[in-house]
Amino acid sequence: MNVEISDLTRRFGRHQAVAGVSLQAGPGVFGLLGPNGAGKTTLLRMMATVIPPTTGHLRLLGRDPGAYGPRREVRRRLGYLPQNLGYYPGFTVAEFVEYFALLKEMPAARVPAAVATAVERVDLGSRAKAKLRTLSGGMLRRVGIAQAIVNEPELLLLDEPTAGLDPEQRVNFRVLLRDLGQRATVIVSTHLVEDVGTACSQVALMDQGRIVFYGTPAELTARGTEQSTGDAPLERGYTAVLAAARA
Amino acid sequence: MTAVAVRLVCLHAASRRLPAAVALLALCAAGLRGTLYGHWDDYGALQLPLIFEAACAAIIAVTAGSPFGEPERATGRWLPYLRLGTAVTLTGLASGALAAAGTGMPLAGGFPDILRNVAGLTGIGLLCATVLGGPLAWTGPLAYLVLAVYGLYTDWHPPALSTPWIWPARPPHDVGGALCAAVVFAAGLAAITLRGARERPGGDGPG
Amino acid sequence: MTAASAPAAPRPAVARRGAGSAVLGSGRLLRLELRHNAMLWLLPVAFALFWYNGYREIMALPPMWNLRAMTLQNRLLLDLVIPVTGAAAWMGSREGRRGITDLVAGTARPRWSRQLATWAATTAWAEVGCLACVAVVYVMTARQVSWGGPLWWPAAVSAAGVPALTAIGFAAGAWFPGRFVTPLVTVVVFFGLAFGTQAASGDHSYWQISPLTAGAFDIGAAPGVASFYPYLPDLSIAQLMFTAGLTIAVLGALGISVARMRWLAALITVAGLAAAGTAVALAGTGRLDPHGMIVIPALHDAASDQPVRYTPACGHTPIPICVHPAYATFLPAVTSVVGPELTELAGLPGAPARISQVAEVYRQEPANGITILAGVRSGSTFILPDRVPGQPGVNSAQFASQVGLTLGLGLARDVILGGNGQATAQSPSQAELAVIAGSVGFTPRADDPAAQSLFDGRLLPVPGSPAALAGRRFAALPAAAKHAWLMQHLAALQAGRISLAQLP
Repeated sequence: MNVEISDLTRRFGRHQAVAGVSLQAGPGVFGLLGPNGAGKTTLLRMMATVIPPTTGHLRLLGRDPGAYGPRREVRRRLGYLPQNLGYYPGFTVAEFVEYFALLKEMPAARVPAAVATAVERVDLGSRAKAKLRTLSGGMLRRVGIAQAIVNEPELLLLDEPTAGLDPEQRVNFRVLLRDLGQRATVIVSTHLVEDVGTACSQVALMDQGRIVFYGTPAELTARGTEQSTGDAPLERGYTAVLAAARA
Repeated sequence: MTAVAVRLVCLHAASRRLPAAVALLALCAAGLRGTLYGHWDDYGALQLPLIFEAACAAIIAVTAGSPFGEPERATGRWLPYLRLGTAVTLTGLASGALAAAGTGMPLAGGFPDILRNVAGLTGIGLLCATVLGGPLAWTGPLAYLVLAVYGLYTDWHPPALSTPWIWPARPPHDVGGALCAAVVFAAGLAAITLRGARERPGGDGPG
Repeated sequence: MTAASAPAAPRPAVARRGAGSAVLGSGRLLRLELRHNAMLWLLPVAFALFWYNGYREIMALPPMWNLRAMTLQNRLLLDLVIPVTGAAAWMGSREGRRGITDLVAGTARPRWSRQLATWAATTAWAEVGCLACVAVVYVMTARQVSWGGPLWWPAAVSAAGVPALTAIGFAAGAWFPGRFVTPLVTVVVFFGLAFGTQAASGDHSYWQISPLTAGAFDIGAAPGVASFYPYLPDLSIAQLMFTAGLTIAVLGALGISVARMRWLAALITVAGLAAAGTAVALAGTGRLDPHGMIVIPALHDAASDQPVRYTPACGHTPIPICVHPAYATFLPAVTSVVGPELTELAGLPGAPARISQVAEVYRQEPANGITILAGVRSGSTFILPDRVPGQPGVNSAQFASQVGLTLGLGLARDVILGGNGQATAQSPSQAELAVIAGSVGFTPRADDPAAQSLFDGRLLPVPGSPAALAGRRFAALPAAAKHAWLMQHLAALQAGRISLAQLP
């Protein structure tokens, strides 16, 4: 298992963003669904080792990220795309990806090839030398994905990765996810259920800091009823589970 | 309507971090007061207030930057007035605070000097905000500070820099210097009122 | 995004990272930072400030290495501090401003390492700017000076001050990435640098550790300092130690928040503070040596106390005037002031065969007072004024007046009164005063109280007195006529047998 979480909590002052989450994930694409404020981003940030948990146990890639040495090893094998992507507008696409490749301590000799590959994989090869300030929002999102995958991570954490992407790019992105999921654990946090339905083999639904559903997309779909709201079967399952959890 | 206007002003002030700016202006005034208790030679007596005046001007210039970007521009007619009011109010507050700090102390130049210098430096800062953006607007006033300090130095070591465009080196009641400072201040106010601080795609400035 | 079109690269060998790869990676990171550093576009601002302020002031000075190099140290950092510190604070706050903190926090490279790369790039560009300014001044000066070589210590202190400025700015921006921090920290550092020496008093003040202080604070850049004797590096070494210690301490403090490296960072910070503190303490042990430089006993090399060997530059007047070659530019001005007097007095009994410039002797007085004396007073030596034309507030007329007061008056009194430069016990007679006044050929200027005070009836006749009138008549004679009369009557004049009426 690449991700092993047991009773994980995270508190910000008096607000408990994650209120006891347990899950395990191995290679594959794992979806994390939930309404706004459910705790998805906070959970992802803990898995990205950006913030420590308040309580609970977290093991990533067989290591405890609480200690400096193992945490550094995890970060070398980690790819992370946050929800709000900051960037340096003066950098070019290639420079930005290279910057993160170097920060991830990739072997320096392999950096140029890895950067070129990552940029090609997000269909920005023709814009590799373009300044980031000249790119559209969707392109910037793809740059963010490129920096996350440049080091061929074993654990890839993506928070709202398809925000701003056009439908064609979203389709391509799902294909990329499935390919990455063959070797790595990919955790995608999103509230776009169609992304989860087509790309993920497992899905967890969070609400108010807890996991209220864990299973396959088909199982989530099966939870939907005629009375559930939603335009698609998976959406109806989603709303049904949320309604039951809040009842 | 008045309550709405007040509410709008308060929200605008909060968005520009005005409370923090006013606190920093007060801190500058307190700093000036504290340093005036020290014994300074002729150089220090004239150059010292200028440093605090430049700090105030830099703070005012930085507040011109908007955190919202384009959505704020695509609104009604109040934004220019808010920008103008913010700049004028802060300039007045800074001048008043520094003058109050110098009350009863050996403050060279007095209030006319302070008002002229703060207004002129703020004008430079507002012009920089229009060109470079709010977060980089400090570059103009602080670069000018170096020129002005040297200008004051040449008052003792001729040849003096006598151009009125370096107004801090001119006597407090000098008309030429006051005019130049006023022109720059007016230009800065006009620029920030009509155009606002420059917004760059992806945020603020290089680096 | 296509998974099939671009075949996935084999997984990088994350575990195989040697020292070479780490160095190469750091080098690539530094190169990225260098290309996108805010200091790069603030360099023109820095150059403009330096040109407008420091460069024009320095190049207006006489072409003497000591004057220009020491003034460079006084000015350069002051002109650069705003753009350098501001750029560093801007770069330090970059991650906070760009909202990229989370993204970089999840990477493997330690934050300290990442920050040091950004700081190093900022400092590199700032140093390029600093050294470019030094190079321009030194190259221009090298083309103009008449003697000597560049003084490197002032340039070294200025260059060493740049990393300290960038470290302070960068750390402030990194710790407090708010919109007001950059201008505030820039102003505070400017204030500290510009006013840090205001409290300096005497030759053992701790405040002279400021990198803006070149030589003795109370003397500053003077032509007599580091001309006859070498430039003492004692204070410069202390200043280098201070700026290096400050830089190390601040950079070390950046690493304290990194858990793994906390102890190492703390150790580095303490070491830096210890170095800076030691330097300040050393500055407090300084004392002004007779040659106008600060000696710090713990750092002093006695070999530096030996005078510099030089071949004097001499004029072709009847009594040759010889000056230190660094002052060769002023020799024509000196000989033009005293030339007629030299023609008048050459060959007279007691007249020197040659008059040579000697080094001034500096003495520290209470508070910030300095007394400048001639080391060995004799009829064949003199000291030039400590301020020369080209220095702020000194013009050629003032310099000529000073030369007349010192060299001209001294020579006339030595020859007319006898005594070879030593004070005579007897007061001069009125006739002697008249001849002296007629020989030096200057009258008191309304704006020169020091000159006016000499006309007191003991050194020179009181204005309007019969001796003063007789002196004017004597001054109106050609130098050859005065020489001829003195050849005939000097002995009688010195014996008191010549009255005012008997003067020509």
